[in-house]
Amino acid sequence: MDQIWGNTTQYTEIVWGWQIAVYLFLAGLSAGALISAILVKWRSNLSAGYDGIMKAGAVIALPAISLGLALLVFDLGKPFSFWLLMFHFNLKSVMSIGVILLSVYSGLMTVFAAVIFKKEFAENSLTAWAFRPFLFIIEWFEGLGKWFDWVMVVLAIGIAAYTGFLLSALVAKPLLNVPVLPLLFLISGISSGIAGSIAVSVIFFKQSVQESNLKYLLSFDTKLIPTELFILFVMFIGLFNMGGQYAIVGQQALTIGIWAKVFWAGIVGIGLLGPLLVITLSLHQYEESDHAPIPVGALLVNSGLVLTGVILLRFYMLYAGQTFI
Amino acid sequence: MGNKRYGMLYDSNACIGCQACSIACRAENKVHDDVHRLQVRIEGPKGEFPNLRMDFHRQSCVMCDNAPCVPVCPTGASYTNEEGINMVDEKKCVGCGYCITACPYQARYLDPKTGTADKCTFCYENRIKPGEKPACVSICPTNALIFGDLNDPNSGICQAIKKQATIKYKELLHTNPKLIVIPNRHGGEK
Ligand code: SF4
Ligand code: SF4
Ligand code: SF4
Repeated sequence: MDQIWGNTTQYTEIVWGWQIAVYLFLAGLSAGALISAILVKWRSNLSAGYDGIMKAGAVIALPAISLGLALLVFDLGKPFSFWLLMFHFNLKSVMSIGVILLSVYSGLMTVFAAVIFKKEFAENSLTAWAFRPFLFIIEWFEGLGKWFDWVMVVLAIGIAAYTGFLLSALVAKPLLNVPVLPLLFLISGISSGIAGSIAVSVIFFKQSVQESNLKYLLSFDTKLIPTELFILFVMFIGLFNMGGQYAIVGQQALTIGIWAKVFWAGIVGIGLLGPLLVITLSLHQYEESDHAPIPVGALLVNSGLVLTGVILLRFYMLYAGQTFI
Repeated sequence: MGNKRYGMLYDSNACIGCQACSIACRAENKVHDDVHRLQVRIEGPKGEFPNLRMDFHRQSCVMCDNAPCVPVCPTGASYTNEEGINMVDEKKCVGCGYCITACPYQARYLDPKTGTADKCTFCYENRIKPGEKPACVSICPTNALIFGDLNDPNSGICQAIKKQATIKYKELLHTNPKLIVIPNRHGGEK
């Protein structure tokens, strides 16, 4: 029964739902996959062609950001007015800054993917006719070498971090209004990008994967996971220390209902302790050994755990952040 | 003569929770059936017998001076007009919901029909401009609401504020609302 003052659904409803949570995940995944591709590029001998991990990075990063953008647009109250966002800017709004970043990023990301698959596209008879006229642009960007890489790395960091600033700007939502959120999203985004790239590369591009690069990314991800745990620790201690509503909300988010379970079992358990366990029990031997075959199974399990944890983290922050206020 | 700065004083002691203001708001502003711009919540009983109390709470936009809903808007559809009233330009709004999540007072909603953000406007276009008072103020049977210019020391609202202790909701957030509240004087302190 409604109270005398009427229905209160509008006051308890979640404004930003699963579409935005998935978008936040995909933006981080895209940025992370791009960063891992470039990290591999910087330590590879390119005369042998692009490493499978770079190909995997490009194959993930472009569709991820495109799908994310589609979700974002269709979640608008007026999806077909999205073009207004391109004509009215407000540099005080993180969302508007995000629109600018996303436009540049997705455009250059397309070029980056074209550079990596230049040979394939130019030689395949199905794509060559459409691809060749643009070849000179693509080769110009390719010729920029490290300059182009750096621009992409900065953009990718911008994309992953802005998704955090988008939420941390909300004074009305104590769980989100914390300074470390952009850092948390950046680190977990890179971690998801590495996990995704490793999985795709060992499934689809195994022949061209250099094992030293694979091991390098694996050991990098192994360092990101404890970093993430530490940032989460800092975040909640910070909430408690800030007192008032921040402390109350921090405690609720760790103890009440489904979101507390998602945090402990999903994010900490599956997403952070899980991969650490797989790495210590199985992947560590592979990293140390010179002649062990690529442990595809264990790598896929590890990537699956990391990706599950990161997507749950986005859902948790968004939903718990809007629920506990 | 500076600009006007419209505010509203809500006397929670005079209020009887009749919801006439909420109904008047709905009729005047053609608010969609599924949503509210305004509710008056009756909270309690609080405290210990015999010092019980019922608090009345006006749930609506409080017209922040430093409105968190305005700077977050990516298109500038959320804006503050020259008379201090925070408004939404329906034509510029894409319905992203950022202002709704940014508002600490849960005052905003996406209109189910237009898909754009909406909220209490103090009846700016339809009543203030022609020189009338907001619908809720006009209808209130107990005169619990006073509307007027906070920049004019002789206005009814400024005179009333001078005479008694007032509060603003969530003052710690420094939003400085122009909805000013006379808190409950009855019952115990809890
Ligand atoms: S009309 Fe007046 S008395 Fe009735 S609920 Fe609204 S403010 Fe209170
Ligand atoms: S109460 Fe909410 S909608 Fe109204 S001005 Fe303040 S932040 Fe904006
Ligand atoms: S919903 Fe409309 S008014 Fe609100 S922030 Fe988005 S574009 Fe601006």
